[in-house]
Amino acid sequence: MTDTTDFEAKRDIADIAVERYKQGRLTRRGFISAMGALGVLPVLGGRALAQTKEIIVVNWGGTAKDVLQEVLCDTYTAETGIKVTVDGSGPSAGKIRAMVESGAVVWDLCDSGAGSAIILEQQGMTEAIDYSIVDKSKVLEGTAYNNGVGNYVYSYVLATNPKLLGGNIPQTWEDVWNVKDFPGMRTFRKSVRGQLESATQARGVPLAEIYDALSTEDGIKASIAKFRELRENIIVWGSGSDSQNLFLQEEVAIGNIWSTRAHLLKDQMEDGAFNVSFNGGVIAPGIWVVPKGNPAGKDEVMKFIAHGQKPELQVQWLEKIGSGPINPAAAELVPAELAAFNPSSPENLATQILYKDEWYAKNQVSAEEMYVDALIN
Amino acid sequence: MPRVNEKVSYWMLVLPALSIMVCFYILPVLGIWEIAFTEPKAGVGNFVKMAGSNAVRTSFVITFRVAAITTVGCLILGYIVAYAISNFASRLTPLMVALVILPFWVSVLIRSFSWIVLLGRSGLVNDALMHAELIERPLRLMHNELGVLIAMIHVMLPFAVLPMLTNMRGISGIYVQAARSLGASEWTSFRQVYFPQTLPGVLSGALLVFVLSLGFFVTPALLGGGRVLMISEYITYQIQEFLNWGLGSALSVALLVATALVLLISARFVNLRATLLERK
Repeated sequence: MTDTTDFEAKRDIADIAVERYKQGRLTRRGFISAMGALGVLPVLGGRALAQTKEIIVVNWGGTAKDVLQEVLCDTYTAETGIKVTVDGSGPSAGKIRAMVESGAVVWDLCDSGAGSAIILEQQGMTEAIDYSIVDKSKVLEGTAYNNGVGNYVYSYVLATNPKLLGGNIPQTWEDVWNVKDFPGMRTFRKSVRGQLESATQARGVPLAEIYDALSTEDGIKASIAKFRELRENIIVWGSGSDSQNLFLQEEVAIGNIWSTRAHLLKDQMEDGAFNVSFNGGVIAPGIWVVPKGNPAGKDEVMKFIAHGQKPELQVQWLEKIGSGPINPAAAELVPAELAAFNPSSPENLATQILYKDEWYAKNQVSAEEMYVDALIN
Repeated sequence: MPRVNEKVSYWMLVLPALSIMVCFYILPVLGIWEIAFTEPKAGVGNFVKMAGSNAVRTSFVITFRVAAITTVGCLILGYIVAYAISNFASRLTPLMVALVILPFWVSVLIRSFSWIVLLGRSGLVNDALMHAELIERPLRLMHNELGVLIAMIHVMLPFAVLPMLTNMRGISGIYVQAARSLGASEWTSFRQVYFPQTLPGVLSGALLVFVLSLGFFVTPALLGGGRVLMISEYITYQIQEFLNWGLGSALSVALLVATALVLLISARFVNLRATLLERK
């Protein structure tokens, strides 16, 4: 099984944070130190011994670090007196493994992905989640694993520019493949992640059966063939900011992009020039994992994870950075103007499918090859 | 003073450069060759896979096609520039040469981004044409091969101009004058007398542009929209997206061999030594 965690998506959330900071929506506090910490492994050992009652939470840096500190950690400290510090150095599965194997664990809680969480669990690198403290009912179904639990979600969504389309907005992925009624360029990710699902729906497969339809090689080929059909109208995006630029510069009229970028675009595009539909979207969760033998102790961390499940805190995430609440109960608290951009609101949940990491672990590499071939050949 | 043996002094002069080449170029390249043959399994599996892949084949075709068109474009435009500078711009020569060299100081990345600003759907070119009411809807000038070619010819142009300029400035005007005095028309004297003398410059410019274009990455990645996938971008795909170091290395070996073949083949028709080393 290959590690399919989407590190680019995580880094992208960090990038968004930078953008937010520049717009003055985020405080300066902690931002600069986050930048300094980015990519640097903490000095092993010492810090953990010095202060046992401190929890170190690791994410992917940038503004996401700042928001995490402000929204979850500082509120936890205010409640319990326990200090929680965010380290933005990027907890890739490899780093976690190196730390656990060398017996010098300094991280208590890491923002990982489902793929990494599964691999780390198989390798015995992570602690089991204590579901007597962490509430399983407070996360989206399918995001509670033995050794990992969901912490936020983002989605692959259908973004459109009605202005370029003359007000005629595609509603489904089948529409997106209809070049006659919806002329213009489309953008898809330079990777099959979250994209094959769209093509599969364009084949007429119902949402719930997407991964069944992709379970055979013929099924994958049929979906790839849809991209071949559309390729004269495709511009690919490599990074989240690419996808944002393509919309801002009116290069594309339609696209499959991250909901976090859509959240930014809604403020940047003029009225009536940007629309987002979660219809047929793919939800991707971030997953908390606890490295085995973490210095603060397992129970302390579980309490912190439980703290992070509070709906009112999760709504702040959405407001500040565009990543949606993993707790379905948070949807009611989302302000009306943001609800349409919330990947996990009940209306949006009903029309989306959960990203299936197991499928990617098995098929991603061969599917990527075929995808490249379809676009250029 | 004791006389140092001529051979010894030769090697003492060459050695520093040579050792840097060996340490930082030859050895790493050998390392890449090794990965190509050992990962994930020892043997030629990577090359077999490469030969069987449609995407790789297409990517090679695109790479060589783009490099060839870029070369032709650079030669035509570059020849005109070099000809104008060496024959007409006597007082302006330093300024003209400076204008040719200036782009070297700007990074390829910036120059490619600038083309995005110019060629975009709502870029300067399209806006100007729309305002002049020459077109009704924006032209697709980038995110396709056309955009890549425009930007690559721009980036590569100095590499074509400079060798041709050096060559042309070494050509005496006497021959053309002689031809003219013998009754040849301007065109004939250019075609039969001047042009053949510039061929060494043209060929070394062509080789330089072609070989450099084969390895281009930034410009096609930015302006190609994902459809103009050149080999070097395909290699980053393999290494970053698929973590497939073996195939990535095999591709770079193949690119190196292909480039060497181009040089060898051109050596059959051109005296490479004369064009590249013993230029006047």
